Amino acid sequence: MTQAPLTGNGRPADTRGGAGARGWLGRLDRDVRTALALFAISFGLVIASRVLGPNFGSLAQMKAILVISCFLMVVAFGQQMVILLGGLDLSVASMMTLGGVLAFKWVGGSDGAVLWGVPAILAVTAALGALSGAGVSLLKIPPFIMTLAMGVILYGATLGFTQGTPSGQPSAPLSALFANTAFGTPILYLMVLAVVAGCFVQTRTSFGRKVYALGTNPTAAYVAALPVHRLTIATYAISGASAGLAGILMLGYVRGVTLTLGQSYLLPSVAAVVVGGTSIIGGRGIYAGAAAGAVLLTTLSTIVDSLGIAEGWRTIIYGAVIFAALVLLRDDLAQLLGRRRRTQETSQNNP
Amino acid sequence: MKPRKFLKYGALALSAAVALGAGAARAQTPPKKFKVYLSMSYSGNGYQTETSNLIKALAATPPYDKLVDLKTVISGTDVQAQAAAYQSMVSAGADAIITFPISSTGLNRAIHEACEKHVLVYTYSATVTEPCARTVSYITAGFAPNTAQWLVNKLNGKGKVFIDRGVAGNSVDKMNYDGAMSVFGKYPGIKVVAEYYGMWNSQTTQQETAKALAAHPDVDAIFGENGEDGIVSAMLASGMKKLVPVTGENTNGFRLALANPALRKRGLDGISSGDPINVAGYAFKLMMEELLGKRKVTVHNIEYPLPWVPADKVKVCTGDTFVNGCNAFPSGKVPDSFNTEVFDPVLTPELSLNSALHGTPTPGATIQPLPAGIVKEAPNVPGVNCQHCKAPADLFKLTKVVATVKP
Amino acid sequence: MQTSPASSGRDAALRPEPLVRRLLGDGTTIIIAILVVLTVVFAATQSDALSASVLTDILNNSLPLALAAAGGTLVVVTRGFDLSVAGVVSLSNVLVAVHGGSGPLGALEGALIAAGAGAAVGAVNGYFVAYWNLQSIALTLATMIVCSGMTLLILDAPGGDVSDFMTYTMTDRIGGVVPVALAIAVAVYVVWRLLRRTDWGVGLYAAGADETAALLAGVPVRRVKLIAYVLAGVCYGLAGFMLTALTSTGTPNVGEPYLLLAFAAIALGGTSFAGGRGGVAGSMLGALTLTLLQKVLFSTGVSSFYTGIFQGVVMIAAVVVAVLFARIGTRGEAHA
Repeated sequence: MTQAPLTGNGRPADTRGGAGARGWLGRLDRDVRTALALFAISFGLVIASRVLGPNFGSLAQMKAILVISCFLMVVAFGQQMVILLGGLDLSVASMMTLGGVLAFKWVGGSDGAVLWGVPAILAVTAALGALSGAGVSLLKIPPFIMTLAMGVILYGATLGFTQGTPSGQPSAPLSALFANTAFGTPILYLMVLAVVAGCFVQTRTSFGRKVYALGTNPTAAYVAALPVHRLTIATYAISGASAGLAGILMLGYVRGVTLTLGQSYLLPSVAAVVVGGTSIIGGRGIYAGAAAGAVLLTTLSTIVDSLGIAEGWRTIIYGAVIFAALVLLRDDLAQLLGRRRRTQETSQNNP
Repeated sequence: MKPRKFLKYGALALSAAVALGAGAARAQTPPKKFKVYLSMSYSGNGYQTETSNLIKALAATPPYDKLVDLKTVISGTDVQAQAAAYQSMVSAGADAIITFPISSTGLNRAIHEACEKHVLVYTYSATVTEPCARTVSYITAGFAPNTAQWLVNKLNGKGKVFIDRGVAGNSVDKMNYDGAMSVFGKYPGIKVVAEYYGMWNSQTTQQETAKALAAHPDVDAIFGENGEDGIVSAMLASGMKKLVPVTGENTNGFRLALANPALRKRGLDGISSGDPINVAGYAFKLMMEELLGKRKVTVHNIEYPLPWVPADKVKVCTGDTFVNGCNAFPSGKVPDSFNTEVFDPVLTPELSLNSALHGTPTPGATIQPLPAGIVKEAPNVPGVNCQHCKAPADLFKLTKVVATVKP
Repeated sequence: MQTSPASSGRDAALRPEPLVRRLLGDGTTIIIAILVVLTVVFAATQSDALSASVLTDILNNSLPLALAAAGGTLVVVTRGFDLSVAGVVSLSNVLVAVHGGSGPLGALEGALIAAGAGAAVGAVNGYFVAYWNLQSIALTLATMIVCSGMTLLILDAPGGDVSDFMTYTMTDRIGGVVPVALAIAVAVYVVWRLLRRTDWGVGLYAAGADETAALLAGVPVRRVKLIAYVLAGVCYGLAGFMLTALTSTGTPNVGEPYLLLAFAAIALGGTSFAGGRGGVAGSMLGALTLTLLQKVLFSTGVSSFYTGIFQGVVMIAAVVVAVLFARIGTRGEAHA
């Protein structure tokens, strides 16, 4: 585990390239710089894709990409909270599916059901996430296994109680979030609010700061008498609820759910968080970065899919770009550029 | 070190001891009912659920409810797991296995072993290249070339087209793509501007189509596969004023959209064709007739006729069965992603909507024999339903439409 | 690291640990116990459960996963996660199906191709993780994606031509008695025991347990990690090779389930994800357990929809028990 020093707000001191570098951009927190860089790269990709066709790089395309990336952004919030703690949540796919299936059943059909249905579903998924957290914290089960098993169990349970066919109705209020209105699409405004709120919760609330502290240096946190079990359980609960929320939102986008709903969000949620600058061993990263990572991944897959080449090449390019993003955005790049040989100590940061 | 080794050898010795004991007590009672196993690979997708429900419904319909003991096994996407499941079924004394195989080639060994033990193996919808299995599928009936040609005719041979595919690396996806391109490739005026993978489910199809529409809002037609109700949703959500012709499979949402006069006025047109759920019911009945000795089946690859419902032929049913030529269900009765080709009045008159939704038999129905000359042999397609064979030259021939435009 | 409080200095290293403590602390014990229970249940519920052909089938079916889990263990011991297992298994599977030759020499050729491809991917993974300090889970995710793309380029639908030698002889029994799969598994284990004694093997566990201490003790940590990833890649390649023999075909997305299954097998086998503990034997037995579990669930008539729940519960239970026993095993001893 890292032994990084803690600053006043509980986040590790940014000891490299901080104040004193170039102007206001240099004075910004490293995490915010990463997030901005990723958004800029996404924007750049979309603009650059104009070479592919006249309708590429258009506002309509950017809007479409942003709307589609909102599911991944929501799931990435919970995943990031757990990763900040030094853990991992592999159950997000099943949680998302459960959220969608329950929304289909409980929220669909009547307008008023949104008011009690959505909190109920969030409560259910949060409780299930809390179970994972309890397993990780109290029983010391490694997060990889606990959440993997939880995901498998949840999927089996969902498959069982729906007997393979989820039933329900679409929900008008949820669909309205994705409708094209004169002022734009409501979900986009909500996402901006969500990113700001997420960052706020992480950096300015005492809960968030404790999560960073626990992830950065668990021993010190323990010694400082932080409520480790409660924090862990609460964080995994948040992850469960985020995935559930993504499933609920999905019901607004499509008109019916199937049990494969969450399948393609598991690995991308981890990729979005890591590409967004969060360290997998915990303690560093903010939500804006993960959200930017989600947007970048969605943009990337959109652009790559529209290249008229074989699927094999498209997949290779997608993987290669993620690879490049990891290489370019890594922590000690500045050090590497500045100094020839790193000291051996930094190799301790490796999970 | 030593204690661990001791434990390992001890475990093996214990197992051997149990083997000697258990082997002596092997039961040999003859089965009273036929033991039939339904082997599925993945699940949780409407297609898989509906097909398995039809089989369960038929197995519960008299007289099969007294003759057949049907057990379902779901193996997941691991080829080895399904192979192991077949082996377990054979060990458990199966008389017949009806299955949706996850791989067209990877299960051959296990199926071969089953055939050697005189187990009848039928596959529905997906096929295997193992010669001893009987495959029942629509895949050779020309879904892709016929719908592609219909689009070309509609566009008069010129226009921009999307191709919505299934799952990359899958043999059905490849065959559909090759079939579509065999037509599109002939017309220089037809440009495939986007090709994406809808994964045969409505959500992914909607997302991918939305992305493609944002890049090419001037598309003229969309060639779709399962999940095509997502194509229509994406078009509507994108705010396109003028809709374009779409061909696809047979989701209820798609059929209802095709029948919707407001959407037709905006330009929506199309053909609802594709993989019929009822292939599972047909395969099961055929298998049972062979098992019970009522029919001698001589061919190994059997073709299921291709459904073909143009937009103006979509008729919404008032009840739970397909009568009076109706072929779609009212909105709300079934989800939009429900595959509608769930029964056929000639092949499976015993089935009704509840059979597909819940796997329950239709009250009062009894199993009707299949018509005498109904079995139609499917052509060879290497890698799909045969090994060491050649496809006929006219594999992608047109059977439902004629080319009205010259290439 | 395991000194009894009552002794001191040199004597501590020479005194053997109490048997019970070692047994409890060793994750392999748990998995063997689970296996025995499952075998008993299996034999009781299926009449030909312990016949030669059924046992051969079970060993055949679990060998690819066992090899994949063995490779993954090497990386987990260094506190890393190698997600590229899914990509390499698919890649080597199609490479062997398309380029493998006939007869025993052809099979050897295929095995070399598979191992080579795996080693190449492993080298890339290892280099960037060890020397460039990239996070293993993210990096190997990227290489997995690239591998699956390469696989699609080689084969875009199931196919390929696999020799009869591989399909029949390699999945049969040697002399009618010993299944080839068992022989291969034992050979891999023997190679592992030999490697374990080398400097690399010792360094692997040291680096996994405490990297700083290992560095200070002079272990070339980066090279150790690189070799671990390369060997892991070789194992994945061999897993794909065996899969080709078993399925007699190349399937582009055949490796996908292995991603999570391999880690489940590793966890069941008692390897600690915190690094420094565990072994290949446990993981291979974990793979066997997962395969056997499927068969037991079938033969005991558990409804198909709920098998997933059982598998998840067994995984958690196995890990909880292993963790519990490990703590009992090391209780009362001072830590460095």
